[in-house]
Amino acid sequence: MEFLSYFAWMKAPDIGMLSLYLLLGMFFLLAIGMPLGFASAFLAVAVLIMKFGPELLFNDFGKGPLSVLSQAVYRQMTNYVLISIPLFIFMAALLERSGIAKDMYNSLNVWLSGTRGGIAIVTSIMAVIMAAMSGIIGGEVVLLGLIALPQMLRLGYNQNLAIGTICASGSLGTMIPPSIVLIFYGLVTETSIKALFTASFLPGFMLASFFIIYIFIRTRLNPSLAPLPEIDPDAPAGREKGLMFIGFLSKFGLWIIGVLFLRALFFTVTGQNTLQEGEDPIALGMVYHLPYIGVAFLISGAIMFAIGKERVNTGWDMGKGLIAPTVVIGVVLGSIYMGITGITEAAGMGVIAVFTISVLRREMTFEIVWDSLVRTLKSTGTIIWVTIGAAALAAAYTLSGGPTYVANLILAAELPTMSIILVMMFIFVIMGMFMDWVGIVLLIMPVFLPIVLKLPVQELGYFGELDPRHVAIWFGVVFCMNMQVSFLSPPFGPAAFYLKSVAPPHITLTQIFAGFLPFIALQLLALTVLILYPPIVTVFL
Amino acid sequence: MEQQSVWLGPMRRPVRLIAIGLTALVAVIFLWLVANRMISEDAIGMHEMIRPEGRPLVAIMLWAILGAILFVSIYLSDMRESIETKPDGVFDIISLICSRISMIMIVMIVIVMFYEVVSRYVFARPTLWANELSLWIAAFVFLLAGQYAMQQRSHIRIYVIYDMMPRWMQKFSDILSLTLLLFFVFAMVWGGYDDALRRFLRMETFGTAWDPPIPGIVKPAILIIIMMVAIQAISNLISDWNKAPEHHGLDDIDEIEIENIRRTLEEK
Repeated sequence: MEFLSYFAWMKAPDIGMLSLYLLLGMFFLLAIGMPLGFASAFLAVAVLIMKFGPELLFNDFGKGPLSVLSQAVYRQMTNYVLISIPLFIFMAALLERSGIAKDMYNSLNVWLSGTRGGIAIVTSIMAVIMAAMSGIIGGEVVLLGLIALPQMLRLGYNQNLAIGTICASGSLGTMIPPSIVLIFYGLVTETSIKALFTASFLPGFMLASFFIIYIFIRTRLNPSLAPLPEIDPDAPAGREKGLMFIGFLSKFGLWIIGVLFLRALFFTVTGQNTLQEGEDPIALGMVYHLPYIGVAFLISGAIMFAIGKERVNTGWDMGKGLIAPTVVIGVVLGSIYMGITGITEAAGMGVIAVFTISVLRREMTFEIVWDSLVRTLKSTGTIIWVTIGAAALAAAYTLSGGPTYVANLILAAELPTMSIILVMMFIFVIMGMFMDWVGIVLLIMPVFLPIVLKLPVQELGYFGELDPRHVAIWFGVVFCMNMQVSFLSPPFGPAAFYLKSVAPPHITLTQIFAGFLPFIALQLLALTVLILYPPIVTVFL
Repeated sequence: MEQQSVWLGPMRRPVRLIAIGLTALVAVIFLWLVANRMISEDAIGMHEMIRPEGRPLVAIMLWAILGAILFVSIYLSDMRESIETKPDGVFDIISLICSRISMIMIVMIVIVMFYEVVSRYVFARPTLWANELSLWIAAFVFLLAGQYAMQQRSHIRIYVIYDMMPRWMQKFSDILSLTLLLFFVFAMVWGGYDDALRRFLRMETFGTAWDPPIPGIVKPAILIIIMMVAIQAISNLISDWNKAPEHHGLDDIDEIEIENIRRTLEEK
């Protein structure tokens, strides 16, 4: 292998130059339209060449430092948590093609149609519920755009308000657990995904409530933004409607509690809840839980009786659409939080739940399953191969000492802690304008997180103190919030393109982005809260 | 679901018959195995299923499963899904068959997980094999999904500058991308060949109770499928060579898919 020595100049003099070449190379390759995953994969090889020189790499066929590449890929391929990605996508694809969303919208609309700005609020609430069912955006914006946008425009809602509500709420999918952004963050940074989900709960709801409060206040201040629908004289109103809603809740509660009771009883009969040493008690499944569940059962039964059969039945009919989503959420989040299964099985159970519900609704056909599988495979391929490339690049870069170098470089500059964080946020927002979140998580996080972890914890945020163990989790939630902004931010906010594809043709892309502005401000507000007061993520931890 | 044949033509019927026949064979053996399991204690279980030596029934079963998946996939690859792009490259058919295989595998993962959760949670009898089996299948799903995404040209790219280029520059960029990709594949095989071969020859196992040969199968599979992705990339370049420049949105929003969703919503 004599000729290889002619290529010895390829070796980079030090890690600083190597990092610079890497950065420039990445920009160049992405600019010429090379797929992100393969660009990173090639750069992984380039990094190894720059580090070890071509003689060492290609001296001996079949071995050498290049083997880190296939090892890195193999590690990703046999990563159990990664299996949840296709399953969540599959579930979302099935969900889109079932009528569950439409029914949910109708049910919510019945309860809130009398309120000013009702449909906008319904859209936000529905988005939150859908976000809790699945963890990806895109589908959600499309669905909301198809269901809610025509209604709002027909009633004469302000177009900007309608557009902003749909896209901003539709993007919540990755903020409220389960979220595939957080799954990837957890994978890359080896943070507990369950903890990330728990931590993102409150910030996610905070953001959603910002949206709802904003809609509420704006439509109160300027009622012409959201005209009320004509009142149907036959429909129940005011107090009567409230009672019916309580009736619905009590009947639904009765069912849920009944199922929980049977479950606890089942455990007691089969003896599964006799604990061995060191076992955690089963949530709501222990013998001593039985009386509580029984009392709750009686209470909701009593409420149902007090409200009256007639009202309860009307209420039940009006609210039926909320049952299927609740079941799906119960299956997915319930499996994760009640300690039944891990994330991956929860996703699998979600698929089964959506499938079963659709079959019961007589909507499932072979074609829908088939369509969904095609979509799942397509999206899986694109996401996983970015993962493969990025894993190879991260392995090569770490082998050559890159992340440590960058971290030391930044720490040595002794910048104020918060300004480092702010610069990172800025980079995220800018990158988010051009790049998919997957790429950012996989390529930037391995460099950024070590820096954040080395920053002095006491200086993070202005109020409240963060436990050092929770810094990685906090940063993950901050990142997720950042991605919320990037879904909406011009020029390439994906939410806008999704909406454009389903909106009436007279709505232009510029108008869509104009509608986003107040909502982007709300997202930035939520981000500010997260940064000023980091302990907000630890409330449920 | 009668559709125009994509590539099988007159072979469609026989392939369909073989697919049905093999699936039926799998089902029959499966029922037989389950029945045996209920009657006798030392029947063939999942542990024996991946160790076919000296167990002809297991060997037949494994081959039948393999054949059934293959032929069902071939049959399904003959039908173009409405949201797929049209296959026109030389290698597209093989990629399509592989994609069908992995679609079937996704369903299998779901079923395996469901079985595991039910048997662990309801019957308190966790299986030893479910996790590893889904891991094993998933590795193939992940790898083959990349090949499919390549054939469908749906890998994440940034088109901002690419779309502004004149066509000759786009072609030049495509060639450059392809060369770099081939170089990566070359480097990957260069570095991983010995390791993969060694593990394959030893049929290295996972070192668990069920002990499937995951490293022994997946390590070589990574190299092989990455090469197939490279071939697909070459085939793409050739078949796209004379196409007019396309303009791309940021995301793969599919008109037909949206139409499908719209239809679902209106049916109600």
